Amino acid sequence: MELLNIFTKAAFIENLALSYFLGMCSYLAVSKTVKTAFGLGLAVIFVLGITMPINWVINTYLLSEGGIFATDLTFLRFILFIAVIASMVQLVEMVVEKFSPSLYNSLGIFLPLITVNCAILGGSLFMVSKEYNFSESVAFGLGGGFGWFLAIIAIAAIREKIKYSAVPPALRGLGMAFLLTGLMGLAFMSLMGIDPAAF
Amino acid sequence: MALVDFIKRFEPDKKNKYAHTTYDAFFTFLFTPNTVTKGGVHMRDGMDLKRTMIHVVLAMQLCYLFGTYNIGHQHFVAAGEHLGFLEGFHLKLAHGLIQLLPIFIVTHLVGLGIEFIFAAKKGHAVEEGFLVSGALIPLIMPPDIPLWILGVSVAFAVIIGKEAFGGTGMNIWNIALLARVFVFFAYPTTIAGDEVWVSGFESLAPGAAASYGWAHDIFNGLFGWMDLATFNSAATVVDGYSGATPLGLAYNGGWSAVTEQFSVAQMFWGTIPGSIGETSKPLVIIGALILLATGIASWRIMLSMLIGAVTMSIILNAWGATPFMEVPWMYQFYMGSFFFAMAFMATDPVTASSTNTGKWIYGFLIGFIGMIVRVLNPAYPEGWMLAILFLNTFAPLIDHYVLESNIKKRLARA
Repeated sequence: MELLNIFTKAAFIENLALSYFLGMCSYLAVSKTVKTAFGLGLAVIFVLGITMPINWVINTYLLSEGGIFATDLTFLRFILFIAVIASMVQLVEMVVEKFSPSLYNSLGIFLPLITVNCAILGGSLFMVSKEYNFSESVAFGLGGGFGWFLAIIAIAAIREKIKYSAVPPALRGLGMAFLLTGLMGLAFMSLMGIDPAAF
Repeated sequence: MALVDFIKRFEPDKKNKYAHTTYDAFFTFLFTPNTVTKGGVHMRDGMDLKRTMIHVVLAMQLCYLFGTYNIGHQHFVAAGEHLGFLEGFHLKLAHGLIQLLPIFIVTHLVGLGIEFIFAAKKGHAVEEGFLVSGALIPLIMPPDIPLWILGVSVAFAVIIGKEAFGGTGMNIWNIALLARVFVFFAYPTTIAGDEVWVSGFESLAPGAAASYGWAHDIFNGLFGWMDLATFNSAATVVDGYSGATPLGLAYNGGWSAVTEQFSVAQMFWGTIPGSIGETSKPLVIIGALILLATGIASWRIMLSMLIGAVTMSIILNAWGATPFMEVPWMYQFYMGSFFFAMAFMATDPVTASSTNTGKWIYGFLIGFIGMIVRVLNPAYPEGWMLAILFLNTFAPLIDHYVLESNIKKRLARA
C-alpha cells in the first residue's frame, strides 16, 4: 500500500515534467509525434527505474557515513549519480539500436541526451532528500518515469492534433509547445494536494 | 430587402479591417450570407456552426433565469428577510440582475472585444465561438466575483486558450473552464472559501452590513413608488449564518452536517448557495435533454461520465475512511455541479474525444477522477472542472490510440 502511494504520488500528484518542470529539453524536442515520444518515454521509465535503486545502493553503502568507508562522501554524489545514469543510458541505447533501428534513428541525439535529462538526476536527488528505502526508491523511480511518460505522450498527441490548427505563425513549433506545457501543468494541478497517506 | 439595402449603405470600406470585420459580424448576425457553393460539394446541412452554438445557448436559458433569481434569494436568506422562496420576488429578481448583468457585460465586452481584434488582425470573419463560452462563463462564476478578476480571466482564456491555437474549434481545453480555473488558481485569497457564494454584503460574518449601490437605490425608488417592499439598507447577516455550500459542509462533517443546513429538496431544486447557474438540478437536466434531442451533446459522454462517478462513489463508500467518503453514493449527486459539468462542459464537441470508443473512455475517466478530486482532495471543494481539464489534456491521446487500434483491426481483417 505504501509503495502504491509513492507510485501514484510520483506519477500524478508530483509529476516530474508537469509540476517540477524537469527534463524539459527532450520533453519539448521529442514530442512531435506520439510514436517517438512513446519510445523516449519508455526509455525514461527504464532508466529511472534502474538508476534509482542503483543510486540508492551507492548513496547508502558507499557515500553516507554509515557505509563501508565510514566517512561522509556525499560531495561525490553528483559525479557518481551521473556516472551511473550515463552507463545505463549507454545500455538503453545499445538495446534500442539493436531491436528498433527506426526508433533509434527518430530519437537521434536525444537518446544519449537522456544522460543529462534533469528528470533522471532530479529523481535520484529527490529520492535522497525524501529518505526513501530501497523498495520505495524503486516505486518512486517507476512512478516518476510513468508520470513523465504520460506527460510526453499526451503533449505529443496534442501537438499532432494542432498540426492542423491555424496557429499564429509566430507561435508555431516551440512557442506552442511552451504554452501547451503550461496549460497541461494547470490541468495536472487537479490532483495536486491529495495526500494518499492521509487516508 | 429594403432593410438589407439600408444596412448595406453603412458597410465600411474593406481596407479598414477593424471596422469591416465588426460590421460583418453584426451583418451576418441578422442575415444569412447569399454566397452559394461553387465547387464539388452541393449538399450542405442547415445545422451550421452558428445554429449549433445557438442551441447550446438556448439550452442554458433556464439556468440563467433561475440563477439570477437565486442570487437574490441567497442574499435575502443571509439577511434573514423574505425567507420563503417566492416572498419578495421583485427584490430578489432586482438584486440578481444587479449582480448578474455586470458579470455578463464584462465577460462579453472582454471576450468579444478580443475576438473582434484577432479576427481583424488575422483577416477573417468574426467567428461564433465565443457565443457559447460567453454564455457559460457567467454561469460558472461565483456571484460575488470582482469584475476585474473576471475580465483578466476571460482575457487569459480567450487569448491563451483559444486564439493562440487558431480560434474557434481549434482549442484543446474548454475555454469557459480555463477562465474558471484561472480565477481559482490565480486569485485564491480573493475568491476561495465560503464568502463568495453570497453577494451584497461587506463580509459574511454575523452582523456585517449589506452593501447596496446606486443600482439598488434606483430600484428602491421604483419599488417605493409602486408601493412594494424595498431594499432595507440596515439589513445585516443573521447570526449563525455561514454561507457554506453543501460540499464544504460534507467535507468536514459528512451527510448529516449537510442535512442540518439544507434539505434534500432544497439541494435538488437548487435554492442553495453555489456558482450562479449550476445549483438547480432539474433545470440543468432539461438543458441536457435539449442538447441530446438536438444531437449536439454526445449521450455516450454523459452516460459514461455518470457511470464513472457512480463507480467511484461506490468504491469510496466501501472504503469509508472519512465522513465525506461515507456519504451514500446517490446523495453525492444532490451536491455540487455534477449535472452542469456533464451537460455543458464535458460534452463540448471540440475538446472531447471525437471517436465513439474514445468518448466512452473520456466520459468514464472524467466521472471517476472528478469524484476522486471532490472527495479526496482537501484543496478543492469540487472536482469536475479540474477533471474535465485533465481529460481534455488526454483526449487527443485517447483518440490517437483508438484510431491506431481500429487501423490494426482492419489490417488484421484484410
